[in-house]
Amino acid sequence: MTRVVEIPAHFDDHSFDQFAKAFGDPSGTRLLFDAHAAQWASPFGLLGLLSAGQAVAEQGLEKPLLTLPRDRDVAHYWARTGFVDHAEAFFELHGKAPRVHARGDSDVLLEVTAVRGADDVHDVVGRIQDRSAAILTGELGLDPQATMGFGMALSEACQNIVEHAGTGGWVAVQTYTWRKRLGRRVVVIAVTDAGMGFRRSLESTQAKRFGDRWGDAAALEAALIQGVSRFRDSGRGQGIAGIRRYLNRWSGKFSIRSGTARAAMVPSWDDDVPLADQLPQFPGSQLLMIIPAHTE
Amino acid sequence: MTVMQRIDLKEVLGRAVSGPYGDLVTRRTGQAVRSEIEEMLDDCDTEVAVIDFGTVRCLDLSCADEIVGKLLLQYGSARYFLLVGVDDGHRDALQPVLERHQLAVVAEDRSGTPRVLGSIPDRARDAFDVLTTSGYGRTAADEIAQRLAVPPEAATAALQELCARRLVREGANGFQPLRCA
Repeated sequence: MTRVVEIPAHFDDHSFDQFAKAFGDPSGTRLLFDAHAAQWASPFGLLGLLSAGQAVAEQGLEKPLLTLPRDRDVAHYWARTGFVDHAEAFFELHGKAPRVHARGDSDVLLEVTAVRGADDVHDVVGRIQDRSAAILTGELGLDPQATMGFGMALSEACQNIVEHAGTGGWVAVQTYTWRKRLGRRVVVIAVTDAGMGFRRSLESTQAKRFGDRWGDAAALEAALIQGVSRFRDSGRGQGIAGIRRYLNRWSGKFSIRSGTARAAMVPSWDDDVPLADQLPQFPGSQLLMIIPAHTE
Repeated sequence: MTVMQRIDLKEVLGRAVSGPYGDLVTRRTGQAVRSEIEEMLDDCDTEVAVIDFGTVRCLDLSCADEIVGKLLLQYGSARYFLLVGVDDGHRDALQPVLERHQLAVVAEDRSGTPRVLGSIPDRARDAFDVLTTSGYGRTAADEIAQRLAVPPEAATAALQELCARRLVREGANGFQPLRCA
């Protein structure tokens, strides 16, 4: 028996809940992730798909199937982002997997990269600095100061995996033009994992304080708004606040989805809600950062 | 003469971690760098520790907390700390860390202009600015009071705050801001 999990044709943060609902509880039957009709996927979508595969593997379930996009250009793009290389570990791939080098694509600032420890965070920050400077100031027209905080925000987001997930995760950074949604060029950073999520990470130190309200939404509120951490060290819990400040300065968007909730810092150009609860359950945490081009 | 111990963070980073890292990121790296600096401080009983950020490209909040936050918490009551070569990116990481711990430190930018980072009362910050624009000679409390247009006792209180936080030193002829020799 196989259960089909359909990948949205346009797979990004907007359609992620649809994907999470289709994923549901992965136990019981073998899963077939069907991306044959996929037309486009953002880094957030691709990393979410990897996290789903990782969650299945970590539960010791049968390796799921994944049909790659039928459209040759789309499949090529998935390969160029590095997704296909990583997907082979978690999925039995079906369809033509183009053999291309992940590096060197002008829009892919950082190909899909595994984050398991501090060394990976160093590697990610080291690799992206020069290219991010060129993109942020050159293509997006931001002040050079935006480059300085970019590495910090990326590092802190990746460290969220290292310090809190209890397992590995992924990061990918890409730049592209949002013609319909914004009419501007953007840099999109996605950082995801299939780990314990914010609620479980903060439960021991925060659940009592929230009482009956405790849940995924309250945990995100505690982390994003109040800057709390599961560690009792008073210096902890500053990373998320630092990302928030950085994105706020550059009119960016920052959202965290974990479990059944999503909290977002919503800029004027976006119509997301600050807090969404009772969403379809999805393992781990998914961070999304969007930096738009400067406008006069 | 004041004896200063200069600590180049890039050099310390090279000794503290095995990988070829060029950035001060991650809490683990921060802990390793701090541990190296602690050894240097314990080996050398100087009055002022000058921490040089000039060769540091990226500094994240976790590393800033582990290095500057925890060093100041541990050694800040016994030594003067001066940060040099601090750029806007470093400042963005240092400022919230210092505020979180209610700490303050003098940081010179790459042109050598000093500024207090962290959390101090506005009047103390104003007094520091007056001191640094007074040619780095020793300045008396009366002169500060005059320049800030506040009563002498208010200026004295601001200067005492700066001295207590080890941002300024008091000598026979007045107050002098911490600066790189």
